[in-house]
Parts: sequence; structure tokens; C-alpha cells
Amino acid sequence: MSTELLSGFTDHARSSAEAFRVMLDAMAQPGRILPLTPDFAAPAPLFASTAAICLTLCDYDTPLWLDDSLRETAVIDYLRFHTGARIENDRPQASFLLCTPATAAEALAQASIGNAEYPDASATLIIQVPDFSGDRLTLKGPGIKDERVFTTAGLGARFWALMDENHQLFPLGRDVYFAAPKEIAALPRSTQIKREGQA
Amino acid sequence: MTTGYNFAYLNEQTKRMIRRALLKAVAIPGYQVPFASREMPMPYGWGTGGVQVTASILTPQDTLKVIDQGADDTTNAVSIRKFFVRTAGVATTEETEKASIIQTRHRVPEAALREDQILVYQVPIPEPLRFLEPRETETRKMHALEEYGIMHVKLYEDIARHGHIATAYAYPAKVNGRYVFDPSPIPKFDNPKLDDCAALQLFGAGREKRIYAVPPYTKVRSLDFEDHPFSVQKWEEPCALCGSTTTYLDEIILDDKGKRMFVCSDTDHCRKSQEKAA
Repeated sequence: MSTELLSGFTDHARSSAEAFRVMLDAMAQPGRILPLTPDFAAPAPLFASTAAICLTLCDYDTPLWLDDSLRETAVIDYLRFHTGARIENDRPQASFLLCTPATAAEALAQASIGNAEYPDASATLIIQVPDFSGDRLTLKGPGIKDERVFTTAGLGARFWALMDENHQLFPLGRDVYFAAPKEIAALPRSTQIKREGQA
Repeated sequence: MTTGYNFAYLNEQTKRMIRRALLKAVAIPGYQVPFASREMPMPYGWGTGGVQVTASILTPQDTLKVIDQGADDTTNAVSIRKFFVRTAGVATTEETEKASIIQTRHRVPEAALREDQILVYQVPIPEPLRFLEPRETETRKMHALEEYGIMHVKLYEDIARHGHIATAYAYPAKVNGRYVFDPSPIPKFDNPKLDDCAALQLFGAGREKRIYAVPPYTKVRSLDFEDHPFSVQKWEEPCALCGSTTTYLDEIILDDKGKRMFVCSDTDHCRKSQEKAA
């Protein structure tokens, strides 16, 4: 333990409540990009926004999987200390999967989809994206009046094909948070996603 | 504000568990997510589910409105409002337009809700199939297989016996074309308000340990038949106080000789209509 452990929310009860409302709004209005700027710094390469999601939702009940780029000692120590979550090596066993655009497709493919009687026993992906520009998508479904245009950075054709499959599985499937350094957005399984240029 | 409690009463681990359930509920509209409901400092049946949901979504900046059968001044509404003033120090209001969170028992406000508002329902029996099939293992399978035949049989039996669908409250509806759900014991008059509603709707059942949700702009279709379409209650007279003909009216018995009056159940809406008329 060479580095000093960074702190979490200054006033946990109030700040995590505010963070949760942003997360709830994001999930209820898929594709809406909302500011999430917690009052603490997270150890790189973890964004403070990603850390805020983890500190608000994760605990000893939620095994956490991290991709190789996030599996830094500082990040693991930080998440272990603040959430108490078990760091999981096996993707299908995890409740939350932290990934980056390069690893998102594989994580999505392997994450738990729940089962027919308990579709809620499924995983949530938290994908760290540099910003919300790039892939242009048209969204439809619960939480969206008519249609909504959503853009997010470089996730690639395979990821979006898997997201389409994920939606077809409804009510099974995974839910996804996208976390940029200061903003978040969500795509639950209920959202129908159309990529620009697709029929 | 009372000290010695965590913000909004519940401890942080409980809130995390409820928050995870809420997010899954929003992602799977109409599906009942099981959660580890806690004992609250009020008896089951007094809105412990709704209170736990409200406690988990409440922020210090929120303005809370609590209604019981449409009224802000009934015992249940007053005590829940006081509970959150004491444990969270939040602002409260009786005006629908000024509230960011509205906790309700058995009514949907008459005023149209907005995107920046959340409606929290207190739910006694979340399972619409429970009175038809008492076993949880079976109802769970029926939801998984989308097997809702018995609910239509129940509505058909209503028609066979009474000539019309006699279910007047807790009227079953289908959310987003998938799950049949119980909108809680709101009068069926309120069912159309759930459809395509701009506000997020969260449902909490404390004793039954279930949370479910209807996201904004989601299709909520009340079950019916082509030859017996869904319809809502109508009254022959307007509200005796504000003269409204478009709101849900309560019947109030005035004496023991059959005298009665009909007044709006939504007290805030009725008061505003009277003020506007004056």
C-alpha cells in the first residue's frame, strides 16, 4: 500500500442521494445526458462519475468486475474500501461490470441476463466513455416521448449489434450506464436502438 | 429536524439495496422487483413501501407532497409528511405543481404531472393475480410465461354476473405490452392518467416486499374486451364545492335521512378551482 487512499462522498447520505437521483433520471429517460459531478476525486483511470455510481449502488451484495485497463491497484483498493464489494474475475457472476469502449462488447456478451422468473437478477454495465460524441443512435421505448437522438463515443458495430440482441431478450437483459468524466447516460434493456444508416 | 437519525431515516445499506431495486424496476416496466423491506416506525398498511421508496429517492432539495385518497390533510398524509420533515428536513407543499416528489395513497392528482416530478404509490397487494392464484411460485411463473388468461376470465365473469366489468379500483393494466400489473387501489378513473404520463411513477409495497415502476411516456393499457371496452366512472352532478365535472368525486353522507353531497377527492385541485372561480 504505497498510495494514499482517496476519500469518497464528503456527506455520504446527502451526496449519494443527489447522485442517485441523477442515475434514476438517466435510467427513466434513456439516452438523456445528465451532469454527475461528485465532490470528490477518484483514482485514475476511474472517473469520479463512475466512482459515484459505484459508491451509490455497490456493497457486499454486488460482485464487481473490472476490465484490465481499470484493474489498477489504486482503483481496486479504492472500490474495496468504499463499497466493500467483492472484486469478481468471472464476468457472468458480476452484478456490476466496469468497462471501457474496447472491452464493452465482450462484457456485454457475457454479463448475466437474469432468468424468466427473476429478470431483475441481471447485471448492469458501467462503460467509461471519453465523451458523448460519435455513434449516432435513435432511441425509442419507455421513458422516451416519441424518439430521442443519442450519441456516444466509439463503441463499434459489434457492441451495438449486441445491444440490439439485448433489447430483443426483454424482459431479460442487461442495463447500461455510460459514464463520461462529468456526465452520465443510461440505456436500459427496454430501449429500442437504431443506428444511423440502418434500416 | 430530529438529530440522531441518518438523512431520510433509512441507513445507507438499505438505501443502496432499494436503489438497485428501483433501477431494475425502471428498466423492466411493470415487473415486481423483490426487495428486503424494512420495518418502519409505522404499521404495515400505512404506506411502509411508499415511505421506503420516498426515503431512498429523496434529496435535501426536494419539495414533498403527500396525499391520502387525494387529500393532503388526512391522518396518513399528515404523519408521513411530518416524518420526512423530521428525518430529512425537506420542504413540503400541498400544491401539486410545486412538488418534486408526490407520495400518494390510492389517487393520482388531477393536475397533469411533469417530467421533473416523481409519483410514489403506496401499494397494499402488488400482485394483480394474487386473488386468483394465491401461490407466489405460480404467479411468478405466469408472469414469466406472460400467461394472463385467468385475469381475462375474471373480467369476463364480472360481465357474466353484472353485465359490465365491475372492477372499480386496482383495475389491472398492461405496461409496455408485457407485464400485467396492479396500479394500486386507485379508482379506475385514474388509470388513463398512468398511460403516457410525463412523470416517473414508482410503486412500493412494504409488507409484500415488492417495488415496481412505470417510466415516463410508457404505454399503460387497462385490460378490457372489444365488446366491453374500458370505461371510467361518471357522476350525474358536479362537485358541490367547485362545480367541476371532470374530476373524481367522493360521496359524503350528510345526515341519517339520505342527504349527501359529491365533492372532489383531490383537495388541492378543488381549492384552486374555487379560488379561480371566486
